[in-house]
Formats: sequence, C-alpha cells, structure tokens
Amino acid sequence: MDENLIPISFTINGEKVSKRILPSLILIDLIRDQLQLKGTKPGCLEGECGACTVLVNGSAVNSCLYMAVNIDGKEILTIEGLSSIEQPLHPIQEKMLEHGAVQCGFCTCGIVLTTKAFGEECKKEGKIPTRKEVKKSLEGHLCRCTGYVKIIDAAEDYLTHPSV
Amino acid sequence: MDKNLNIIGKSKPKLDGKERVSGRAVYGHDIELPNMLHARILRSQYPCARIKSIDCTKALGLEGVKCILTAQDVDVNRIGYKRDHPVLKKDANCQRDEIAAVAATSKEIAAKALNLIHVEYEEIEGIFDPFEAMKEESRQINLHGKGKDLYGNKNIAESFHYSHGELEKQTKRSKVIVSRRYELPRVTHCCMATSNITADYSTMDGRLTLYASTQVPFLYQRDMAHALKMDPSLIRIIQPVIGGGFGSKLDMYPFEPICALLSIKTGKPVQLLYGREEEFLASPTRQTMIIDLTSGADADGKFTFREVRITMDNGAYTSWGATTPFVMMQTYSSLYQVAACDFQAKAIYTNNPFAGSFRGYGNPQATFSIERNNDLLADELGLGKDEIRLINANYPGEITGQGLHFKTCGAKPALTKVIEASNFIRKNREKHKGRYLKGVGLASMLHVGGGAKIYRSDGCGTRLKLDHYGYLDIITGSSEIGQGSETVLAMIASQELGIPMKHIKVVNTDTDVKPWDVGVHASRTSFVAGNSLLGAIRLMKQKLDRKAAQLMECEAGEFLYENGLIKRDKKEIRIDKVAREMHFGSPNELCIVEYFYEPESSFQDKQFMGDVSGNYAFASQAVEVEVDTFTGNVKVRDVYVSQDVGRVLNPMGLQGQIEGGVATGIGYALTEEMIYEKGYLMNPSFHEYKLLTAVDMPDIHFYPIETLDEAGPYGSKGAGEAPLIPTAAAIANAVSNALGIEFLTLPLSPEKVLKAWSEKKQNELANSQSI
Amino acid sequence: MNFNIESPTSKEELLNCLRNHQSGYFRLAAGFTDLLIELKKSKTEELTVINLSQIKDKQFTGIDIQPSGIRIGALVNVAQIGKNQSIRKSFPVLQQAADALASGQIREVATIGGNICQASPSGDLSCALVALKASCEILKMDGTIRHESLNDFFRGPAVTSLQKNEVLKSIVIPANQTNKLKSGFIKIGKRSAMECSIVSISYHFQLGADAAILHSGIAIGAVAPTVIFCREAADFLHKLNVNKIHETDQLKVAELIQQSASPIDDQRASAWYRNEVLFNSAKSIFEQD
Ligand SMILES: Cc1cc2nc3c(=O)[nH]c(=O)nc-3n(C[C@H](O)[C@H](O)[C@H](O)COP(=O)(O)OP(=O)(O)OC[C@H]3O[C@@H](n4cnc5c(N)ncnc54)[C@H](O)[C@@H]3O)c2cc1C
Ligand code: FES
Ligand code: FES
Repeated sequence: MDENLIPISFTINGEKVSKRILPSLILIDLIRDQLQLKGTKPGCLEGECGACTVLVNGSAVNSCLYMAVNIDGKEILTIEGLSSIEQPLHPIQEKMLEHGAVQCGFCTCGIVLTTKAFGEECKKEGKIPTRKEVKKSLEGHLCRCTGYVKIIDAAEDYLTHPSV
Repeated sequence: MDKNLNIIGKSKPKLDGKERVSGRAVYGHDIELPNMLHARILRSQYPCARIKSIDCTKALGLEGVKCILTAQDVDVNRIGYKRDHPVLKKDANCQRDEIAAVAATSKEIAAKALNLIHVEYEEIEGIFDPFEAMKEESRQINLHGKGKDLYGNKNIAESFHYSHGELEKQTKRSKVIVSRRYELPRVTHCCMATSNITADYSTMDGRLTLYASTQVPFLYQRDMAHALKMDPSLIRIIQPVIGGGFGSKLDMYPFEPICALLSIKTGKPVQLLYGREEEFLASPTRQTMIIDLTSGADADGKFTFREVRITMDNGAYTSWGATTPFVMMQTYSSLYQVAACDFQAKAIYTNNPFAGSFRGYGNPQATFSIERNNDLLADELGLGKDEIRLINANYPGEITGQGLHFKTCGAKPALTKVIEASNFIRKNREKHKGRYLKGVGLASMLHVGGGAKIYRSDGCGTRLKLDHYGYLDIITGSSEIGQGSETVLAMIASQELGIPMKHIKVVNTDTDVKPWDVGVHASRTSFVAGNSLLGAIRLMKQKLDRKAAQLMECEAGEFLYENGLIKRDKKEIRIDKVAREMHFGSPNELCIVEYFYEPESSFQDKQFMGDVSGNYAFASQAVEVEVDTFTGNVKVRDVYVSQDVGRVLNPMGLQGQIEGGVATGIGYALTEEMIYEKGYLMNPSFHEYKLLTAVDMPDIHFYPIETLDEAGPYGSKGAGEAPLIPTAAAIANAVSNALGIEFLTLPLSPEKVLKAWSEKKQNELANSQSI
Repeated sequence: MNFNIESPTSKEELLNCLRNHQSGYFRLAAGFTDLLIELKKSKTEELTVINLSQIKDKQFTGIDIQPSGIRIGALVNVAQIGKNQSIRKSFPVLQQAADALASGQIREVATIGGNICQASPSGDLSCALVALKASCEILKMDGTIRHESLNDFFRGPAVTSLQKNEVLKSIVIPANQTNKLKSGFIKIGKRSAMECSIVSISYHFQLGADAAILHSGIAIGAVAPTVIFCREAADFLHKLNVNKIHETDQLKVAELIQQSASPIDDQRASAWYRNEVLFNSAKSIFEQD
C-alpha cells in the first residue's frame, strides 16, 4: 500500500506542509480528516452547495471536487487561516455578524472565503461591484436559513468599502 | 409597557456568532472521539419487498469491520408516537428502510462492507397512492398499524374530525360556493448539515452519551430509552452546534438508536453521518396532501363555511407529519372569521417515505387552499381580493369557533399594511402585454404564537447562576438551532439585570445539566423560554434586592439594575459585590435560582375545542411576480411581509427569520419537489432538487406589527414559522393574477406554467375561430 | 472510490503515460468536476487516472491569439475564458456561456477540454463553440495532431470521436471576418444560477456595414443527443439585415431551429417543453426590446 502514496508539499494558512497521500484523496478529506481543520464543511460533496469552499492560490474552489494531489506546490487558505491572535476576525467576518448574516452558520465559512477571493479580484481590476454582481458572486453557495438577503448585504457592505 | 428598554428592541448580533463565522463552532460532523468507529446503514433495494435472507459473512470478514447489526441481532422496541416503526426492518416497506448497519474503523471500510452484505429480496408490488391504499382489497401496509380498530380501515394511520357551527344552514345562506381539489408536493428540509449522531457507550457504568442534533432533547432521551429498553436517566444528550433544523429534528429516527446500538455492542464510540444523497432518501419530508376544500360566502362577502377533506400520504411509518391536522384545523376553523367549519383529515399508510414535521407544520398547505379559494370567492362576488379579506379579517377579542381567544390581534393592520405597501389595488387590476406578465397576490396566515399544548407539559425550566464576578450563566432547557433564541435570552437577562451582554453565557446543550423543556417547535422558544427566564429573574431579583437593601442599609423593596449596579435614589452597589456578600455573609448562600414556567394554554378536549396557545401570530404577505411567457419561469420580484410579532425583541434576528422563511416559501411555490416514481426517489441531490440561490432572491420588505400581548415576554409572540406559511399561497395568487389561469398544484414549475399558458392561448384561438 | 493517479507535467510525459496504459483501463481528467462525480457513483476498482492538470505545456494551458483565429488550450479553465478580453470582444457567445456555467468555484477548475470531452448535450461551452465553428486539435500517441471540426467530434451523448490513444490538446476558433457582431448565449433552466441547461441557444452573426448577416452560426444544446449546429437556420439568415428581420422571418428561423432538434422526455423536462422553449427563445433572438 505504502509505495502507492504520493508525496506533496504545499502551504496551508501560511504553514508549509509535506505529506504522503493516497492518490485518490480529495482535498476536503485532507483538510478535515488529516489536518483537522474542521471549519471547511461537507454540505453535499458534489459541488452544489459551496460549504466546502477554500482558496487555492487565492481562487475559491470546492474542496469536495478538488484532488489533493493537485495542491502540490500551491497555497491553500481555509477559514482558520483568516484568524490570527492579533486579529481574530477578518473584516468580512465582522460584516457578516454586524448584518446578522449568520444563523446556523454551516454555510458561512465558505461564503466568507468566496467573498474574500471576489474582493481581491475586484481590487485587482479596480472596480466596485454592483449588488447584482455581488449576488452573482455568491451563486455557488446554498443557505437554507437566511434567505441570503443579509449575506448579500454583508458582502456588499464589505466589497463596496474596500478601504476597510 | 416599560418605556426604558435599552436592550430589547435593539439589533444584537448572534451570541456565539464569532464561533460560527470563524469555523470554530463544533457541529456533529466535526466531533472526533478516541477510538471512534464509523457507521453506515444498508437500506432496502426495493420500496416493498420480503427479505428472505441476509448474509453478512463476507462483510464481517473484511478487515476493520467491528460489528454488523440486522433486525435479528437486536432486542428493541418500535419507535414513533404510534410505535409502528421498527428500528431495523425484517421486511422492506419503503426505499429508506434500514436493513443492516455496519460499524468499522474507517468510513471507507464501512462503505465497502455495505457492498459485501448479501440480501435476498422477494419484491412485492408496492402501494404508492393513498386512495389505492384505502381500498378494501388492498393489503395492510404497516402490520403494526391500528387503523382497523381505531378508524375502520387497516391503512389509516391517523384521523381527525373537527367541526363548529351549522354547516347546512351556512351552506344555504351562501351566495357563492367554491369547491376545489388541491395537491401539494412532497418537499424536504435540506438542512445544510446532514443528519448526524455520535454515540458513546461506557461498558463501565452502562451510561450512554449521545451527541445528537435534536430539537427536543428531553423527549428524545425518553424515546431513545424506550427504543433501547434502557433507563432514561442513563442516557445523556449533548447537542452539538446544529446545522439547520426547521422541524426535521423533532422526532427520533431509526439511525439514531441504530448508532447507539452499535456503540453498545462494540463498547466504542460510533459516529454515523449521512451523505447528501442519503439525506434526501432518508430524512423526513413535508408530506403530500390532497385537499378538497369547499368554501362559501354570503352576499356581503362574509365567509359562511368551510368544508374540508384532507388525504395525507403518511408513508410506511408514522412520525409527526401525521399530527399536522392539529395546526391545520386551527387555520380552517379560525383564519378569517368563519361561521361554520367541518374538517376531516386522514393520514394513509403507503410504501412512500414517512412524513415528518417541517416549519409551518401543515399550515402552508392549509393556507394555500384557503387563500386560493378566497381569491375565487372574491372573483365570483365581484369583490376586490383585498376587500374580501378585510371584511373577514380576525379582530382583537375574537373567540373563534374553535375556542381560540385572540386577546391581541394584528390581522387587519398587517393586511392593510401589505395592501398599501405593495400598491395592491392598482397592480391587481393592471393588465400587461408582451413576453413578461406581472401579477400580484395576497395571502394571510394564523399560527400559534405562544407555544402549543400538545404534550402533557409545554413548559421550560431555567436555572440562573450569578458568580462572584458579576457574570451570569443562563442554564435553560430550551435549545438553539440557529434561530437565535440564545441571543434573545441573553438580551432579556441583560435588560432586566443590567449585566452587559458579554458577561452572559447561555448553557443549553446538555440534558445532564439543563432543566426540562419540551423542545424547539411551534415557534415557542422565545415565548416559553423567555417567560421562564423572566420568572427566574424575578426570583433572583428578590434575592438580590433583599441583600442589597441589607448592604446599603435601606428599606427592602425594588431597585434599579443598570450597568452592573443595583441602585435606588443616590445609593448604589455593584451587583458582583452583592453576590459575594450573599456567599460570604450570613446566611451563606449562592446567587442561584431556579424556575419552571408552564404556559396557561389549555389542552384541547376530545372535540379539539380550546385555547391551545398563549397567544396567536398573524401575518399577511403581498407578492409581485413576473412570468416569462416564453419559458414559464416565474420570477418573484418583491415580497411585502407584515406580521404581528407582539413586540420586536431583536430586529436583526427577526428580520433574518422572516427572510429565511420567505425564501423557503418561494422554493415551495416554485422549484422544490421530491419526485417519486413507484416508491423510488428520482432526484436525491441538489443538482436535481432545486433550492433557490442568492441570484433568485427578491427584495423583501418587512413591516412588523406590535400588539404587545400580555402573555409574551415584553409583549412578544412567536415568529419563526409564520413567514413561510402564506408565501406559496400569495405567489400562486400572483401567478393567477398575471396569467388569468388557475393553478391547483405546486410547485409552479416552468413547465407547468408554460403548459397552462399555451393551453389557454390555444383555447382562445379556437374560440375566436369558432365565432 | 479508490484509484491510482499519474500526473504528467509535459507533453512527452503525457505521451509516455498513454503508451504505458494502452492495454489497461484508464481515464483522463483535467478539472475533475465531471469525472469525480462519475467515479464517486461507480464501483470500479483498479483504475488509473491520467491527471492532465499538472501539464505545463503552453499548447495545453494558453490562450493564443493569431490573425487566423484564437487557439485555446484544452486545460484553460472556464473562469479564464470568461475573463479573457479578446474573447469578450470577439466571441461574446463564448464569454456568456462561460459566465453562465455552474458557479464561480466550479469555473475556476472546470476546463474547456473537459466540457467538450464530456460530450454532454447540455455542455454550455460546447454549445457556444459549435456556433463558432470551432475545431479540435487532437494529440495522438505518436505525437502527431489530428484536426476535426467540433461538430463532427461529437458522436452522441457522452460519445466523441476520441480514441484511446488520443487526447484533446486545443480548440481553434476561426477569426471573425467582420468587426460588427451580434453574438449571445441563451440558457434556460429552472433557477437563475447553478443550472444545467434545459435548453440553450448560441448564436454568432458577423455583420457587414449595412448590418447584413454575412456569416452566421447557431447551435442548440440539451435538445438532441449532441449539441446541434443549425445549418438551415444559419443559411436562411444569410444577407438579411439583422435589425430588420421581419416577424414572419423570425418565425421561420425559429421553426428551422426547432426542426433540427429532437428532444426527449427526461427527469428535468419533457420533450414538449424543450420544443416550446426552444421555439420561443429562438424567436426572441431578433426581437427588439
Ligand atoms: C455542480 C456542477 C455544476 C455544473 N454546471 C455546469 C453547467 O452549468 N454547464 C456545463 O456545461 N457544465 C456544467 N457542469 C459540468 C462540468 O463542470 C463541465 O463539463 C466542465 O467543463 C468539465 O471540465 P473538467 O475539466 O472538470 O472535466 P473532467 O471532469 O476532468 O473531465 C470530463 C471528461 O472529459 C475527459 N477529458 C477531460 N479533459 C480531456 C482532454 N484534454 N482530452 C481528452 N479527454 C478529456 C475526461 O476523461 C472526462 O471523461 C457542472 C458540474 C458540476 C459538478
Ligand atoms: S460540499 Fe462541496 S460543494 Fe457542497
Ligand atoms: S446559516 Fe444555516 S445554512 Fe446558511
């Protein structure tokens, strides 16, 4: 069995990690089961709900449809990587709380990360997104509790105040 | 009421929001215990089959498999309130039936083991239509059902009959009578976290700890004990953070005792998590209903009577879905003033999945039928759809035919508000041309607002502990499932005791610690747990007042609690100091109190007469839609919601409940449906079962009505279920308004809408040619 | 789900991989968004997946703009296509199809090659590319390239002309011959996002100075076993002024488009519905609003 393991090296939340993994390992299982980062949530494991969203080299992807072998040499950011001792919450997270966008919270972490990636993309392009674009940026996330309105409000508030 | 509310009525973020938004909150899926095994359930290959044999030899031979259970291996009681549901099945009665369960050292091995279990089935033709099931010659579907003795038909699982007023007389008085058959689809909760449980049995002391996402921990403890033939006190329920409830976690389902049994047999912790497909296949549903409703109105537009016959598809076993008539009959008897009502509902066994409870508890279905008929009555009478509703609206002081007493009632203000805000009267008359046609629709609802006495107690206990440093623990029987009740409790305590929110902790997840409560249902938590907390606070204040008076050397009596201080006139003392002095001074005592609150609502009698709830919530919604006549797609543009909430406790939390409810209501109206063919679920994934996305959401305009009902904390009423109840009805009315077509079923899928539209066009063409 | 994986990083390694596995069962994968869903459901053991996504070769990963046309490597992901300025300008239909595909998270990993090789009749990029008369550049195990029009490449639902010893390397879209365009993608589903097409229509018209249609491409998705190029409708429109297409001609076009479809009933929609919506949407292409 062991000779089948594939060595990979990557950075996760700023830390360098090297591992030997099963070839068919999926990123979400690496993150949750092996690295014990439980903030990445399994909502459907079929690319439909977005609860498992993480950033790979800054882009939001579904970790349930991403092969672990393909993170070799890349940078991963999970929700845990947004918190530091000095700054426990990222401004997006503050906005989510301020707007009441969190109910059961199972969908929230993925949404925070997608919004971060989208914010960075907007910054790069020097644009301030419209509400319609904000909604579109959230299309890959399902939320059963909130009806999305407060999530959209929070993301819009963050994305249209880029200085914060 | 008290004008100096500085916390209540102000928006407060969720108490443990930071944990949830940062990924630190521990949900059931995140629990890992040392030596934990992973379980999987083998479900039936057929919706209806005799099981001739089960061979587990191969699976047991797989390295890492620790235990396999089948019906033969366990000594357990049947579950469900009708006790008609075996935990593991000897024969298959629906597609979700649990045939065997495996515990293994990894998820992968458990999954592999399932494939190695060999079951020999003899398939039987199932019965999937409730009318078919009721026929004399049909076979008995659930052998534990008592329908034959109780209701005269072997396949009736539950039956209700209620009536008030003189039906015959009112029928004669009616100027118009409308009769329709409505069919409502089967939908499901789609909690973002799938069902989960972790069981940890100790062979040392025989105690069982369950990390279970239940909304009703104390009933669950009792049900679990009954199933496992155990002493309830040996079972401890710990509720992890729950990723969505909506009624789905109101009952105990077979997977839970199964997981417990695996832990008991192996002596190790065992975890069972559903995948999404399994969640669709095996978690509860809102049942399909066929509603035959006849309603009448007199020449002035006053409602005369409602006669309703409801046939519910109960599925193969009985869960709480069968009891939704309790709620529905209130709506038929008392939503708007109705002189007479005759209500019959039957839950019929079929080989479909069993029906659970779902936010709204039958009320969305009932409201849909009534509000569709109301539009038709208005049309026949030549009255406005707003007018007919205003004429019949419920009013303060009303005691309805069923005996519900509306001590306060915001029905008319709510209706008036949404009619104005949506510009309903003008828009309802507007005719549109072209590809996109607009329409508006109106619907109202009535729901219990102060709990509902359906169990022997509808109460809630609270224990309060003020420590030496002025921090408060609220140990409450009630549960948090994402709805924000914890935050409201902390706000109440902060308001009353002048303790800052960040010094307050709510402890509510452990049956070994918390006092009894019936659970999260019937929009009751803020009401019942809030009142219980207020009772406990009264006791604690008595204690603190007494001590403070002693310490400040002033007369006993009431003090002002503010900013961590207890004050009167110019004198003040820190609350923590009072708590310390209480402990260290004489007579040495701790600042701990306990209170149990039981709402005054009454148990209904055998005829279902009685005032079941502490108070009642009223709401109206007006919806504007745009129908694309090229594709049949319905776009909801604006939803106007006005709701009698008694008093707004936490505006932001309330608004979130409203928006979430409306979104679920839109899904029910337009896209959601579990498609079953001969007992097989055809769309068990988010790919085929369509939930709305952010892009689909309309603007939601919310206008709370505050009626300050004496019974509720600060005058508030329960609000959690109401927002989704009238939405589908209002949307259906709006689509009818846009197209001039009647719809009798949900969801209003693009295909259904387009089909109706092209039939209408063809008929118009045929008519114009024949002239 | 358990499989072996090999991740070539260059064309040579890829060819080697292909050679080594000719006698066994293997699958190619790029973004894995289709393949993983399929493998999670299957019970196949003993499978090797050749993981294309680590190939660095520009021919596979680049977007190359040349006077004769634009070459898009098979490994280019859908997000890149949606954001590419040249594509946005010259081939709006493709950009719109890319933006309408799944969600942001999927678009970041799903590849154009995967969309094509999946050969789903409802593949959004496939539909746009057929309207654009794109062709495939297929790398054979011996290192040579086989060219084939995309329209011919599709042979049935989930069936292409691709052989076991071949890999899709890139797609070429011929350059526009005029600068004025009417080009767009219509996608019909049950909700406004995250939707698999129930019907899709791609159209790309190149216009002369007087707005006359000089070159036209129309393709439809999810209404036949493969994406279909609507030749009759395209021919009919030749030389017509795109802004002044008479209502009877609009109906004629819609009819011709509908005639090239052969939808069936399935879980998501009936053949009747697909036909109706196809007709109505086709009609709407030229409606001035
Ligand atoms: C949630 C979800 C939503 C989706 N929504 C849409 C949608 O809206 N519209 C749409 O069109 N699709 C949709 N898809 C399908 C899918 O994302 C796309 O088809 C995608 O473009 C596939 O690309 P991929 O790189 O992920 O393919 P893979 O999964 O890697 O491969 C797909 C197939 O193509 C083969 N293949 C891949 N690359 C090559 C190559 N270079 N040469 C030869 N064979 C190759 C593979 O062997 C496999 O059979 C959706 C999928 C999911 C999971
Ligand atoms: S868990 Fe990955 S998208 Fe749902
Ligand atoms: S907050 Fe519960 S799913 Fe979004």
